[in-house]
Amino acid sequence: MTMKKNDSSHLHVGCDCGLETGRRSFLKAAAGFSGATVMGGIGFKQFAQAADLAPVDRNFVFVYFSGGWDQLLSLDPRDPDVFTAERVADTRILPAYSLLAQDPSFPTDVVTPNQRRGAPPSQLNFGPAMGNLVDHYDLMTVIRGINMTTLGHEVGYRYFLTGKSPVGSAARGSSTATEIVGQMKPKVPIPSVAYGVETYNDRYPGAANALKVSRAQDLILALSPSPLQLDSDIEKALVDLKGKRVACEAQLYDSRGMLTSYRDSRDQMQTILSTKLDRSFRFELPENAEVRQTYKLPAAGPYDSAQGRAALVATALKKGISQCVSLSLVGGLDTHFGTQVSQATNQRNGWNALATLVQDLRTSAHPSGGNFMDHTTVLVFSEFARTPLVNALSGRDHHLTSSCLIMGAGFKHNLAFGKSGDIGMSPGVIDHKTGLPDAKGRNIFPEQVIASVLASAKLDYAITRTEPLRAILA
Amino acid sequence: MRAHGTAGTWCSVAFALGVAFAGCGKARETATGEVTAVKKPPVDSPRPLPDPEQQGGHVGRAPRRITVAQLRASIEIATGRPWKGLDALAASLGRADFAFVASESTETNLVFAKFLEDGAREVCLDAAKSDLLAVGANRVLMRELPDKIGKLSDVDDAAMKKNLVYLSTRFWGQPLAGTELDDWAATTRMVSTRADATGKRYEAWAAMCIALITDARFITY
Repeated sequence: MTMKKNDSSHLHVGCDCGLETGRRSFLKAAAGFSGATVMGGIGFKQFAQAADLAPVDRNFVFVYFSGGWDQLLSLDPRDPDVFTAERVADTRILPAYSLLAQDPSFPTDVVTPNQRRGAPPSQLNFGPAMGNLVDHYDLMTVIRGINMTTLGHEVGYRYFLTGKSPVGSAARGSSTATEIVGQMKPKVPIPSVAYGVETYNDRYPGAANALKVSRAQDLILALSPSPLQLDSDIEKALVDLKGKRVACEAQLYDSRGMLTSYRDSRDQMQTILSTKLDRSFRFELPENAEVRQTYKLPAAGPYDSAQGRAALVATALKKGISQCVSLSLVGGLDTHFGTQVSQATNQRNGWNALATLVQDLRTSAHPSGGNFMDHTTVLVFSEFARTPLVNALSGRDHHLTSSCLIMGAGFKHNLAFGKSGDIGMSPGVIDHKTGLPDAKGRNIFPEQVIASVLASAKLDYAITRTEPLRAILA
Repeated sequence: MRAHGTAGTWCSVAFALGVAFAGCGKARETATGEVTAVKKPPVDSPRPLPDPEQQGGHVGRAPRRITVAQLRASIEIATGRPWKGLDALAASLGRADFAFVASESTETNLVFAKFLEDGAREVCLDAAKSDLLAVGANRVLMRELPDKIGKLSDVDDAAMKKNLVYLSTRFWGQPLAGTELDDWAATTRMVSTRADATGKRYEAWAAMCIALITDARFITY
């Protein structure tokens, strides 16, 4: 076994790092960065003070349906009696709800929600796969006819995550969740959680980074102390050693702040471990029996199902652990072949899990008044939709025009904004003041949706370089 | 040598800093094994370094975090044993699966920091335990300590520092020196005394190994 060869001991000259010009410049850069970290972001001290958990006044949930959803089955239905097989040459749209008949649990027609007590009648219709979420129509804004400008999975996905059209398939800018916690600086221990989704941060300090995990168990592991603990005095000595002054060379090496970001992450880790947050997400524990009951979770994990993910969101928000949760709720939607039932089943799993979450949040009192849905904005999206025609393999391919759902705080409710075309479900040409089709109107793009989400919380939406859809803002 | 390019990077960084970098190529070995001096370039020959003032205070490329594959190789080579739990955590550490995630993430985020700490504990405790049963070059973490170790706290300062310099070179490609070496030696002394008292002697050098792996110099290049 050999050592690394680059003996750079000659660089160790205290903090007098050689050239005077270089020293001045680098120290200036390092000082600038650390200042930005402490003052411009969620400083460690502020973070550490968040030991007494309290929900923030405004939460955000970003829900991703992975694979490209069939919006005919959910957010943008068509009447099968109008869009018939006989007229398909003219309409280029085939709802094909009759193909769901092999599973009697699915309706085979457009679903109109029953009027909710105390709410006006629904102005919204849905496809057969919306499941129980239709009961919450009174909290919804549905945006239809969105032009995704792409048929690539990663591109559409990252477009909606950031509100910026990717370069090639590479995301630009920060995730919307990062933008939100970067601007709002919530006093919660883990401002943003990204569960099974990508997350980006291009301009905020490391503390705005999402805690990114790919499965529920990883979240618990990340929040739990290591099972291999040393003697407590030795543990303390380790922490003290890491807190020692940074060597001059490391400071120079860190002129772009990467090492500071790593140190911030380690500081966050120490604080999080001391608050024992992992117990909140260990749904198998007796103290979490109510969560298991609400989300119909089994007595033992892992809890990676859609219902388990929804329970994770509720826990993070209600216990004041996070402000933003971004998650992939369901997958298996890239159904180029197979049956319509598999697409509908997978979608319904997601919508039902979301319905449980919304029901939980709207029946949970928020400390600031009202219920949690009054303080939570939920954005549900997919990377694009599926073709309105069924292909030769009984599936549907990628389609440019999609829709999205916004629920909760900051938006008008029981509202459909925009419309996809009645021929081939083309992107809508919409008057953005009314949301109605208008030959002189414009397309709706994801960045306008993201700008609306930011504007709904009175945040700076300049990064989207567009205007929000003001007609849907509350 | 670790699998990633840290060694060359430190040379590059040093060069970028404008430091006279005598250690990176004083002599050259010929095919016959003869060592000949390398001619020094004229003073005005090197291209001037870019002015850091014009570049936001930095020159050279930014440091990068190692990938999951590099981390696996680095830990195995530095400690002599693999991190067994790595595969289960690889996705959250940033490894692309090229099905759902097409690009490797090299963020130094909280999850990475936590899982790296867990992994360091796993391999370092194993390495330290086996070192106590081995001698000389068969050791990984205690190579420069006497073969017969009674109390760890009885090891003299010189041997302790020599071992720290060896380990930091092995783990980082860069020896501890100056006041930083003094700090690390003081911590080693403290944990050695404590480990002697608890009877878990392996914890002393396991702790130093954990500190080495979780240091930014181990995970960047």
